Amino acid sequence: MRRVVVLVSIAVSVALLAYATSVAGALGYLGLETRALARMLLALAYNPGLRELTAMSPEAVTAIVWDFRGVDTLYETVVFYMAIIAALAIYRGAPKVGGGGGIGLSLIAKVVTKLLIPMNIAVAVSIAVHGHLTPGGGFQAGAALAVVSVLLAVVFSASSFSKVGVDVSKAVALRSAGLVAIAVVVFTPLIYSSVTGAQAYLMQSYVKVDSGFAFPVEVFGQLISGTLIWLNVAEFLAVSFGFFIIFMLLSLREDVVRSALVGEEHGSQHS
Amino acid sequence: MALSTLERFLLTLTLYNLLVTAAISIYGIVARPSLAKKIIALTILGDSLNVLAIFIGFRVFSIPPVLTAEAELSYFVGLAVDPLPQALVLTAIVIGLAVNLFLIFLALQVYRLYGTLDTRRIRELRG
Repeated sequence: MRRVVVLVSIAVSVALLAYATSVAGALGYLGLETRALARMLLALAYNPGLRELTAMSPEAVTAIVWDFRGVDTLYETVVFYMAIIAALAIYRGAPKVGGGGGIGLSLIAKVVTKLLIPMNIAVAVSIAVHGHLTPGGGFQAGAALAVVSVLLAVVFSASSFSKVGVDVSKAVALRSAGLVAIAVVVFTPLIYSSVTGAQAYLMQSYVKVDSGFAFPVEVFGQLISGTLIWLNVAEFLAVSFGFFIIFMLLSLREDVVRSALVGEEHGSQHS
Repeated sequence: MALSTLERFLLTLTLYNLLVTAAISIYGIVARPSLAKKIIALTILGDSLNVLAIFIGFRVFSIPPVLTAEAELSYFVGLAVDPLPQALVLTAIVIGLAVNLFLIFLALQVYRLYGTLDTRRIRELRG
């Protein structure tokens, strides 16, 4: 009976959604035109003629992510931070990652992976620093670098993390450095405003109608789009080492984790 | 510029496919007793909704929302796809991955402590 209710309610709501989105046209001109908001964002992404409104980034997606909807992305970063803090809290008291004589995969896999990892790192860094010019940015670059941690754990075994000099506390420190860098970039206009007395807004990247504050948009003729490159690089650090932490904890040996858990239970019984 | 019948058919087919995928994954989350299957259904739901968001901003004759040196601004604005859903989805994918990993951690911990991922049996456990 319960199953029938669930099935019927899901079927009815999907049928309503399908009707609303196709026949009733709730999504607008599907596949034909973009909305007025999209055209405005596209026109303002890189437009030196409209200095007070533009984000000075030829990549419209990054302009939205870190300028037009920057606070939204800041909130997403907080959600990411919370998810990893929660995972770390579950694994509190877990033994150190690494140790134990893991063998890993065959020699062929190891040699190929050794060649691939530097390329992977290069690609990730280039995605991060070109985020304001070409498709990419801090989030994508962080996900690309996270692949390295999975490769290390699978191909070289979990003991390889200590060999390359990464452990959970170092990854936490690097991730925190990225988050602190984001905070510094976000609060710089406020510090400028309190020192000089001029008007400036939180997360401001380029000049606004009533504020002349602006991060440098070009350095040596290279477009860096104000805060966008700094926020991309900082987010790259935060995301990539956040994933490093999670994958390191996931690669812990099962018997080691279990013995740590059992010890914890005994402790609670005695107290 | 109007869409041909074939293009309209393919767009509607994609839309219905996404909605049905979302419906099946909601069923998986609500009705399947295994935590592992709930998490798998949740990732499928997240992905199908992300594709739906991209689909809303899609247009048939289009260029990517990246301004290049050759393109005129009016040409770019008139032809590029909607960048707003892409910006929302790009953060949603990475955050979704982190939240899913956290859920996997939780499920792993439940399995280590109770020896089962079946929600019917977990509900009966005490202490």
